[in-house]
Amino acid sequence: MGTPNKADVLTAPVVTKELSEFLTANLGQELAPDDDYFTLGLVNSLFAMELVTFVERQYAIEVQVDDLDLDNFRTLGRLRDFVLAKTAHRGAAA
Amino acid sequence: MATPTALKAVACHQPEGVLRVAGLPGLGGLGDAERESCAQLGIDEVRADDSLSAFDLAARAAQRALADAGLTAADLGAIVLVDARAPETLMTSAATRLQAFLGARRAVTFSVGGLGCVSLTPALLAARGLLAADPGLDHVLVAHGSKPPTPLRYRHPVTVSGDGGAAAIVSRSGPVRILDIVQETNGDYWDLFHVDYRDRPTAEWREECRDIPGYSFRLAVETRNRLRDLYRGLLERNGLRPQDIDCHLSHNLSVGAFRFTEEALDIKIAPSCYDNLRQYGHLGPNDVLLNLRTEQERGGLRDGSRAVLLSASPVAAWSLLLVESGEGATTPTHYL
Repeated sequence: MGTPNKADVLTAPVVTKELSEFLTANLGQELAPDDDYFTLGLVNSLFAMELVTFVERQYAIEVQVDDLDLDNFRTLGRLRDFVLAKTAHRGAAA
Repeated sequence: MATPTALKAVACHQPEGVLRVAGLPGLGGLGDAERESCAQLGIDEVRADDSLSAFDLAARAAQRALADAGLTAADLGAIVLVDARAPETLMTSAATRLQAFLGARRAVTFSVGGLGCVSLTPALLAARGLLAADPGLDHVLVAHGSKPPTPLRYRHPVTVSGDGGAAAIVSRSGPVRILDIVQETNGDYWDLFHVDYRDRPTAEWREECRDIPGYSFRLAVETRNRLRDLYRGLLERNGLRPQDIDCHLSHNLSVGAFRFTEEALDIKIAPSCYDNLRQYGHLGPNDVLLNLRTEQERGGLRDGSRAVLLSASPVAAWSLLLVESGEGATTPTHYL
């Protein structure tokens, strides 16, 4: 697992790169931003938990049950947008 | 002071017939992805005997539990049968059939269920309540016969179910004290897995998941959150730390499910669970009793050691049991 990203303001390119590295390492293949790894049958329960745990630790956020809309997690692009939305308040508060 | 609760005896009955998972009837009719998922579960074989019903399995385990406890049916104050996945007949009572079979004429008798693999927990909650409420009642039999409801024993992408019976005598004293029980449910998933059976020949019954991505993602992450909270709360309210737990026994679904629980809670599941998974597959609510029994037989639960028994079900339900080995155990029992 990579070093947690504690930056006050996260940028889309950085988050995309970090998420892409995690997905590639764990799914064994590179994915385009719109590839749906759930539809592709690449996700089991263990990977789902590891993905959410990675996002929580990497970006110091907590994924609640209300956040567990599959649409937030099904592609690299959507997951990036979810992370940016959950961390948007940091820059505003800084 | 409230009445203590303990498992006086735990007994299992495994049929002698062995089915290799690689040769499961019906497996050849599945797609490549399903067959590959099945092969990755960590289950080599299951026990199966078409001549034994779920009732037969429960009844044999119940007889053995009574014998192991040194009791007769006349000693039973209550019988709590965990419902079979599919009743043999409608309108009848398997619980009172067990009462008659054993000859436990004075036992308060009923069944519980509705929580899939977690259904052992309401049975233990009922037993604990009966012992606490009635000082004249000394022993409660809890029993279940596990038999999959469908001819295809593989439930994609979860597990392979075997046949097996398990029973426990719940009393005020015994070699395994029940210190605490916690359970939560979320009815949003009540029909996530289902078997459509009306107007269909039994041969066509099949366990189906209405939302596999939902199972593999939303329920998985909710299970992580629920188990973490339940585990933390269970330890806190009993004044324990994670290092005070000597053994973790899980229900047996797959090696992946064990790793999931280990990562979610930062624990190690006992090797006996892996061994039982490999040779018996999934036995529904009986898994944790089988694993506890195996751990006892192997000497893994010395006096004073504590174990947490974990169960989860996609209906969805989660439960943890905190137990302590030894009649002279010192941890005070927690009561809600």
